Amino acid sequence: MRDLRVNKTGLAAVFAMLVMAPSFGAIRFADDEDDKDKQAEGGKEGEEDEDADEWFALLNAEVHTGTGSILRGASILAKNGRIEEIGYDLHVPDDAEVLDAGGMRAYPGLVAISSSGLFGGTSDLENTVDPYGRSMVLALASGITTAVQGNQAGKLKRGEVTDVVASSEVFVSLTYSKGDPRGKRTLREKFDAAAEYIRAYRQWEKDVKKDKELKAPKKPSDSATLKVLRGEVRAKFRANERTDLLEIARLATRYGFRPVIEGCAEGWTVADELGRAGAYAIVTPRSRRTKDEKLTHDAGSSIENAAILHRAGVQVAIVPGTTRIDLGGIVGRDIIHLPIEAGFAVRGGLPESAAFAAITIVPARMMGLSHRIGTLEVGKDCDLIVADGDVLHYQTFVQWAVVDGKIVYDKADELFFAHIRPRPESALAPETKVDAGETAVEEPAEAAGDPDDSED
Amino acid sequence: MTRFLHTVRLAAAIGAAASLAGAAGAQAPGAPGGSGLALIAGKALTAELDGRQFIDHPVLLIRDGLIEGIGPESELAIPPGYAVEDVGEAWLVPGLIDLHSHVGGTRGDINDMVFQANPGLRVSTAVVPHNSLLKTAVAAGVTTILFIPGSGTNMGGQGILMKTGVDTFEEALVRDPGSLKIAQGDNPTRWGYGMGRLLMNYTLRSILRRGLTYGARWAAFEQGEGPQPERDIQLDIFRELYAKRTQVSTHTQYYQLVYMTIQMLRIDFGLDVYIDHGSFDSYLTAERAEDVGVAAILGPRAVMWPRPPRFDTDGQVHGTAWGFQQRGHSRIGFNTDAPVMLQQALPLQAAMGVRYGMDNASMAAVRGVTIIPAVTAGIADRVGSLEQGKDADIVVITGDPCDPRSRVERVYIGGRSVYDTRSERRRW
Repeated sequence: MRDLRVNKTGLAAVFAMLVMAPSFGAIRFADDEDDKDKQAEGGKEGEEDEDADEWFALLNAEVHTGTGSILRGASILAKNGRIEEIGYDLHVPDDAEVLDAGGMRAYPGLVAISSSGLFGGTSDLENTVDPYGRSMVLALASGITTAVQGNQAGKLKRGEVTDVVASSEVFVSLTYSKGDPRGKRTLREKFDAAAEYIRAYRQWEKDVKKDKELKAPKKPSDSATLKVLRGEVRAKFRANERTDLLEIARLATRYGFRPVIEGCAEGWTVADELGRAGAYAIVTPRSRRTKDEKLTHDAGSSIENAAILHRAGVQVAIVPGTTRIDLGGIVGRDIIHLPIEAGFAVRGGLPESAAFAAITIVPARMMGLSHRIGTLEVGKDCDLIVADGDVLHYQTFVQWAVVDGKIVYDKADELFFAHIRPRPESALAPETKVDAGETAVEEPAEAAGDPDDSED
Repeated sequence: MTRFLHTVRLAAAIGAAASLAGAAGAQAPGAPGGSGLALIAGKALTAELDGRQFIDHPVLLIRDGLIEGIGPESELAIPPGYAVEDVGEAWLVPGLIDLHSHVGGTRGDINDMVFQANPGLRVSTAVVPHNSLLKTAVAAGVTTILFIPGSGTNMGGQGILMKTGVDTFEEALVRDPGSLKIAQGDNPTRWGYGMGRLLMNYTLRSILRRGLTYGARWAAFEQGEGPQPERDIQLDIFRELYAKRTQVSTHTQYYQLVYMTIQMLRIDFGLDVYIDHGSFDSYLTAERAEDVGVAAILGPRAVMWPRPPRFDTDGQVHGTAWGFQQRGHSRIGFNTDAPVMLQQALPLQAAMGVRYGMDNASMAAVRGVTIIPAVTAGIADRVGSLEQGKDADIVVITGDPCDPRSRVERVYIGGRSVYDTRSERRRW
């Protein structure tokens, strides 16, 4: 029960979700079943051997938490992969792995809401992940620490194959388009059946207290729509055209769920309707859609799309047009240029904070993982990046990436980018390395002997 | 015109009088025939070839479509009668120049692949001024392009240097022929029954030899030193090339091809040539290119990922611009190959050059899309920097023009306002 003891934010989040949940069933949006298993294991380990706790400390960073606050010269302490404390003058245990950020910026790890190939294998991440793949290193070098591949969300845990999967079912993919009127009717019928079942089940829950013999209503044949209405998984639609977007907004309002709309190119023309429907949008600011000049209303793509949607209350996530890594020589538009794509949303008027949220906390929220990733907060996973400048600037490079409290990428140690604006050799190197025995040549005895050093 | 005038902030009574004159049917301030226009801004990137690179709090005077003067607000007085526009903290940047574009007329390459070498074909006949792709280009600050034929044959034809945001061919024309387009691989292998490097080089050398002989004969005739040659419209471009009034722009790529660009076109045939579409490991030729004065215009495949055996970088990711700069090359620019990369992606090519290693301390990125391509194409007397006497092609932008986050607020071409986000929806 380690997590319940230390993880106040997590507790609060779980509590909030329970309060908000309809009386029907239990929300599994945070895949809390998996978490309980892990918590149980962790708890046992903790009880058996307190010394087995793994500590990680990031020191002397300009911490951009992603919640609005920036803490200069601050530290982050993580225990067993979760953030224990953020602030100043933290007590760092002697055996902690320590990383001195040298005043550089720390951000939450970026979240790619759509990607392909980063984990090496197929969409079955648990069984096919290649934890030593080049794609994973390049993705970490771009700042991505969590990515959706297929319909699973995984963490880029380099060198590890356990606990890679953060969500085994990210979305229920639905189609609701004017090009397929029969499909639209069928989908409405499925939602009707699911809604009817939920009403009947609620009634049954009351009635069964009086009559224990009363049979529960029969589940509808389509489980996907039921999961959506129960709030277990979000429904994702791929749609760009104004008419389809409006219809999806109406559908979602009618049945009471928040749709995720991927593409959403003409969303700016119906932003208010999408905002009122509580929609999430996954947009590519640079994507182009030519307006049909026969139309008298606004249509086609706009560089302002993300900004207009954001102003209307739509939660906007950003993904580049190419969701794999492109090694063909053209750079700037594939998944490892995620912050560049976010930059184009800023060009269209999206505030920088919202553009950063669009590649961190918003996609985390879409997947129901915002209690674990997306911002730097106590109780969340210690997934962070240290960068040599503003993460949205084209010149900025990620210097270190940390996933679950472990340094999984160090620019200076990899061949790819080490020669580009090399990091000056100073206090910026980690004092204790993952493979401490191999490279700790900087007078380790003296450092260990000095009590002040161990706290730095 | 009236819409524009409504938005112009005028200075005092004299300005108001000028406005009345303008509304009476004359041109807008700054445009040819109109009154003067003064732009006051937070910063100007002047991007001169050897002189100053920026001015804080500048005043830029425009008259008759040209830059009449530029200097710090504290030093340069605004003449009476000028319309004054204060753009606040925004920056003034020279209109950007792309020396490798295929979207000046159609939505894709022009590849007339009947013959292997087509020096007589002219894309100027296919220009569609201010087409939809160029409209977006303007909104990214791209005001001049070299519109060239595709690379389906070894010699695709003659390109044209043209402005993007204006409505007529006459206004758009900067220079025709803008270049002779030569492609050295690998795309011309599509031609005919399939040809390789040997036939390509053979064909190029034979047509160049014929063409330059033709050019030399005409030059001799014009100097009264020989008989009048028979006119051959296939080879007329070589008169321009021989007289250095235009250049060869080469579709070239990696080391071997660029080496041949330098060896064959520059050294063997003495042509005024530049590397266009320079890619991958072409930087290995940098010293040689610099020695013989061949500029390196790079993109869009301007990063080499380690993919041995062909691209062996010992595991490092090499930016092509980084490689040229490291080896001391002084004329590094960028191109898009639009629509391979959208025309509006030009400043991003420069930004990626910086990201993948090019030192930007001396504004190499901005220079690479302004003064460097202007000098390379021989049009620096008209465009490429904010200097007195040049065309008033001016981009008003919220910051670093290579940063995707910077917003273009207005664009002037030849002193005319061609894009203004105060009165129209943002196109890019």
